[in-house]
Amino acid sequence: MKTAWLQHTVLRAASLLAPGDQRSEWIKEWRSELWYIPRRQATLFSLGAFRDALWLRRNNLSRATRPRIHLESPLRCLAFLSTLATVSIFAVICLPAPHLEPSHPLTVRNLPEACVRMLLLSCLFLPGTLALWRPPAIRHPMPWRSRLHRGIFLALKIALVQVMMLCGFTVLLGPLGRFAALGFNVAFILVLRWVITDQQQRCPVCLRLLTAPVRIGTASRTFLEWYGSESTCSRGHGLLHLSETASSFVRRPQWLSLDDSWKDLFAGRQT
Amino acid sequence: MLRTMADSQKLSHTSAMILQAIGAGHIYGYMVMEVTGLPSGTVYPALRRMERDKLIRSQWERQSIADAEQRPPRKYYRLTRSGEITLEASRKRYPLLAGLAPPEEVPDR
Repeated sequence: MKTAWLQHTVLRAASLLAPGDQRSEWIKEWRSELWYIPRRQATLFSLGAFRDALWLRRNNLSRATRPRIHLESPLRCLAFLSTLATVSIFAVICLPAPHLEPSHPLTVRNLPEACVRMLLLSCLFLPGTLALWRPPAIRHPMPWRSRLHRGIFLALKIALVQVMMLCGFTVLLGPLGRFAALGFNVAFILVLRWVITDQQQRCPVCLRLLTAPVRIGTASRTFLEWYGSESTCSRGHGLLHLSETASSFVRRPQWLSLDDSWKDLFAGRQT
Repeated sequence: MLRTMADSQKLSHTSAMILQAIGAGHIYGYMVMEVTGLPSGTVYPALRRMERDKLIRSQWERQSIADAEQRPPRKYYRLTRSGEITLEASRKRYPLLAGLAPPEEVPDR
């Protein structure tokens, strides 16, 4: 059955949501099916393509094979952020300083002072951003050394991010003028959000990013059940159960420590 | 992990309906929609999810067959062994499921 241009346009628009490597196969299937649909149902049928494309994007298995920046190790993460911060500082040094306020030009010399101001400013943003943070409920108390390491790691990330943000703000202040301040506020909130999300996805013991996420449960079965994901520490320190919706019995992510009997299972993965 | 394996045997009612339709021989997307009365935005993601979970497998029809009938090739879905077991479990769970989709003669592609 011949179909009108409208349905094909809808399918083409929906295909933009599908992952690029599966798009041609995806649209081939939908166009093929559309050919058989009676004309009066075709538009409604093609609108369902948006939901399908979104599902495919959210569950794209080939995403894991893409080249990514490896930040699993906390040291690599800090090294990456330090590199970015250094590059940002060099950019501030090399590029001409903005001349919006001639009496108080922003230069490298007063960078520490500006960083302190940024720290004060971030104190305003942090409470709102920290509301997103649901630290995992740990059944067994963690050693103070592990808690200290976590705190230091978080503080270092925030400090390095602040340097980057400040340098970026300095560089963009010239071309963007007053809009830079607005962009800076939005960017700062997003970056802080990343810092906290990254912290949440790390093992509380070794601070490595958790791996092998597995989906558990279904959204339609929430009565005395939970659904979400389970991630594993590649060193075998434990499992993090992250519920997608908070309930009366699962308010926070649950960290389940694994004892030494599990070590053999993870022995080959400690790279 | 053990929970995931156990849960794979329990399907939602919608997924069970789709699995039943495929098991009865309604082996392409639009036919599943017609039999179950579900919209395309529900059926196609469910088919992909079940294929990911290895309950069904898909196969494109040979181009020569479609060309001979002057139509585009279709993507056919069939139950896997795991899908048959899950469907059996779902029929016990939802006794009215068997009456949903009358068996269809499966074309030999």
